[in-house]
Amino acid sequence: MEILSHLIDGFGIIGGVVPILVITLGVMMGIIAGAMPGLSPSMGVALLVPFTYTMSPTLALVLLVSIYIAANYGGSITAVTINAPGTPASVVTSFDGYPLTKKGEPGISLGVSLVSSTVGGIIGTLILIFFSAPLAKLALKFHPAEYFALAIFGLTTVASLGGKNWIKAFIAAIFGLLLNTIGIDPISGVSRFTFGISFLYDGFALIPALIGLFALSEIFKQLEEGGHNTKTDVDLSFNWPTVKDYFKLKYTILRSSVLGTLIGIFPGAGATIASFISYDVTKRLSKNPEEFGKGKVEGVAAAEGANSSSVGGALVPLLTLGIPGSATTAVLIGALMIHDLTPGPRLFVSNPELVYGLFASLLVANVALLVLGLFGSKIWVKVTSIPKKILFPLIFAVSIIGSFAVRNSFFDIISCLGFGVFGWILRRNNYPVAPIILGIVLGNIAETNFRRAVMMGGYNIFFIRPASLILLSLGLLSLIFAFIKSNNKPVNKQTKGEI
Amino acid sequence: MKKFILILILVFIFSHNFIFAQNVKKTETGFPSKPIKIIVYTSPGGLIDVTTRKFTEIASRYSDATFVVENKPGAGGIVALKKVLSQPADGYTLFACTKSNISKFVSTGGKHYIDALDWLAMLMADPECVITNKQMEVNDWQELVEDARRKNGKQIWVGPAAGGLDHITSIKIWEEFDFSAKWIPYKSGGKARAALLGQQGQAYVGNPREVLGNSDLKIAAISSEKRLEQFPEAPTFRELGSENLDNEYMWRGFAIKKGVTPEILNWYDDLFEQVNNDPEWRKFWARGGIDVVYYGPEKFSKIVNSNSDTFQYYLQKIGIIKSAQSNIITDLGSGKELAYIIAFLFFLNLVLGIIIYNSAIKNLLSRILIISFFISISIIFFLISFVFPESDIVGPSVVPRLWIFFLIPLNIILLIKTYVNRKNIKQSSGNTNKVLKFVIFLVVYLVGIYFLGYYISTFAFILIGMYYLGYRKLSTMIIISLSWVIFSYLIFYKTLYVPLPLGRLFEILF
Repeated sequence: MEILSHLIDGFGIIGGVVPILVITLGVMMGIIAGAMPGLSPSMGVALLVPFTYTMSPTLALVLLVSIYIAANYGGSITAVTINAPGTPASVVTSFDGYPLTKKGEPGISLGVSLVSSTVGGIIGTLILIFFSAPLAKLALKFHPAEYFALAIFGLTTVASLGGKNWIKAFIAAIFGLLLNTIGIDPISGVSRFTFGISFLYDGFALIPALIGLFALSEIFKQLEEGGHNTKTDVDLSFNWPTVKDYFKLKYTILRSSVLGTLIGIFPGAGATIASFISYDVTKRLSKNPEEFGKGKVEGVAAAEGANSSSVGGALVPLLTLGIPGSATTAVLIGALMIHDLTPGPRLFVSNPELVYGLFASLLVANVALLVLGLFGSKIWVKVTSIPKKILFPLIFAVSIIGSFAVRNSFFDIISCLGFGVFGWILRRNNYPVAPIILGIVLGNIAETNFRRAVMMGGYNIFFIRPASLILLSLGLLSLIFAFIKSNNKPVNKQTKGEI
Repeated sequence: MKKFILILILVFIFSHNFIFAQNVKKTETGFPSKPIKIIVYTSPGGLIDVTTRKFTEIASRYSDATFVVENKPGAGGIVALKKVLSQPADGYTLFACTKSNISKFVSTGGKHYIDALDWLAMLMADPECVITNKQMEVNDWQELVEDARRKNGKQIWVGPAAGGLDHITSIKIWEEFDFSAKWIPYKSGGKARAALLGQQGQAYVGNPREVLGNSDLKIAAISSEKRLEQFPEAPTFRELGSENLDNEYMWRGFAIKKGVTPEILNWYDDLFEQVNNDPEWRKFWARGGIDVVYYGPEKFSKIVNSNSDTFQYYLQKIGIIKSAQSNIITDLGSGKELAYIIAFLFFLNLVLGIIIYNSAIKNLLSRILIISFFISISIIFFLISFVFPESDIVGPSVVPRLWIFFLIPLNIILLIKTYVNRKNIKQSSGNTNKVLKFVIFLVVYLVGIYFLGYYISTFAFILIGMYYLGYRKLSTMIIISLSWVIFSYLIFYKTLYVPLPLGRLFEILF
């Protein structure tokens, strides 16, 4: 096995004290960047790129991917503790993670999200190491029609997310899609719905919308319900999952990780869509789908397994083709360039030490993440025991600085507040807000690929290409399924009052 | 205690100005006496970012100035431009720009944006080239042209954004060689390159550097006078029979807000000259096949103006810059009529809101208000979409309308369902006033950030916020607020270079 011997060399390269320190440092910074609403993995990496300019290329890359991996996990910490997903991908983690915390089990949700993250990350890396070449070929074969179909399929997960409120879930998702059309049209270049505001040329930034819709609206909701006055449990003896608990999740984690890696491969689709689809699949396969959204550990595992393994997937096109699979990997390309390295198939030949050092460091970083995460969880879990009277103003402060940091603009703070109020109004009227985020994330992929596909082959192209036909049919099926289910459900007293 | 803390904060806020002031050594001319900020219009890692950072590295060998690179991504450079123009014309803010910015400036602000800047220095030029995929049958220039003529406008060319440099270059190439093709834009050059590798398009237009690292890619033609040293096999357009495509290149350079004194302009002129002659600077770029040049203000301005005319012409031709057209619906979607419609819909929703506030069936009506909000937005967007220029198949209005066509019926179904089930809607028992008061408090906080700056306002906000929610231990409150302010200063301001606002008041006073 040539790959194995290269990999052993790779471990040799990163085996020193300095690389291990760099990985540890990267993982710690990544966790903070991910946990801080407003610092996404791509920003965490981008902000540190200038520091890597003076390092050796291998070390620079090792540092950046450590941050990347850890930031992907970090997002889940705030998602489960205070319902403020730090990254778009961890929105799904909050679906069951936060209810678990509310039930008094933050230890369980933090533990499961950490372990699924690291296992997912390792599976993603292994797939990257052993199957990158054939997977890269597959990614290239993906036509715009298939991207569009994948985005639509991702959107139909809304149907099962919404449950009996499926119409509202769809309205929210389509509203997100419509919001996404604000800004300069990526295909024709004309500006749409910007009302002359230059900040809107790029549309609403995703992060302020995410913070507003989740973190702020949650606080508003709790203020309304008088939640800030409730006594929090000062009892710090949280339950942590046992090895047996983790073992029960093995199939969920494995399935989500494979799914996450595969979806991560397609440039642009990335971690968010991977976690939504994986959650949806897990829910459908479950014997008790109605328990999802109320604090089911499988939900947390599915989301985290998928979004962490997508890192491995996103690196496939980067390393094999020189094409970024996500916003973060686009930044990595820039970091390689300053060291005069061009990512692409030749990199494996010209700089194998770099590629296999990177592979080895991905594995080590995941282990480091597990270790640091286990220690860290003991601290993060205490966030839930901070009195709300202190916590709420701090969450606002974090939200405001996080929104500002995205583009250093005041406009984003205002839009964050706007989304907060809007999200609160929607939530108190039983609209789920996660579909809006999904709509904003998928809107661009759906629209640009729809139009590219039609420009290339007319409207019927979606039905001629088998892969896109299958994905679209699956989407339609899941819609019909959701519709039948929502209408057949016996109306019991609990669900009666809510539309 | 309180006074002490106040003093502490003030000291802390001013200290970083002081720290900056100490770092700078003055030159004979008295400029620069503070750090020079270079605004980059992309995120870190883009080629212009790399250029700028390499530039600061070399430039600091020839001058005592401190350079600070600030990334202001967004809207193809408009966000960065606005930042540059918002600063005083004192020579301390540079704009790192590329030819792509000119296209964006022309399509959004016209000449006006270009005239607002002094174009200081053009530092490099990469020739544009047509790249093909060796795995495909057609990959040679002659074959490509023949194939295009056969396909009669259906040959697919891929590249980044429509109306950008690569797109306009392609149109010129098509005109020059007398054929037409379809331009399919991708989000970035990288994604378009993937499409070429995936054989979804026949040709890609970009930078010669982009074939490096991938043996399937080949330069079919290049727009330089002579063949490039690094790519001896790539033929020039001149060899292929066109004499007008020698100068299609992408440039990168620096601009500054108009109104800077000649003395400062001379200082920069010397600096750029020195950097341009630096062997390391030249070596670094030569390896990637990038032409290092130095054109001073006069020549650079001429180039920019001629670029701007070219973009103006082609952007109009492909419909990105609107030509005036008018009918009833486009009138409704623009100008006064639209304002009336928005005002009317706003008024309608407001009336509904007021009714709700005083109504006994608040919950039913608030649901209807949300539905009415979604429908109003849909109507407004639908009307505006008629103003977009229409292109051949799927123009910019198609997809927004598609979403609207789903959004309106779904809302109508929901309206019916809500009405049918109106008896079942629960009365919520929450305290909405508490939320409204807190929102107003947040707005005050934002105004505070604007005038008093981030640090003071945030300290006050956290303190008052905790008090408002019923927390009463003053010492804890002060410690927490202060720690957050210090944390945000150290992490966001110092480490992550997030320029937290210092407030209008301080900007005016100091």
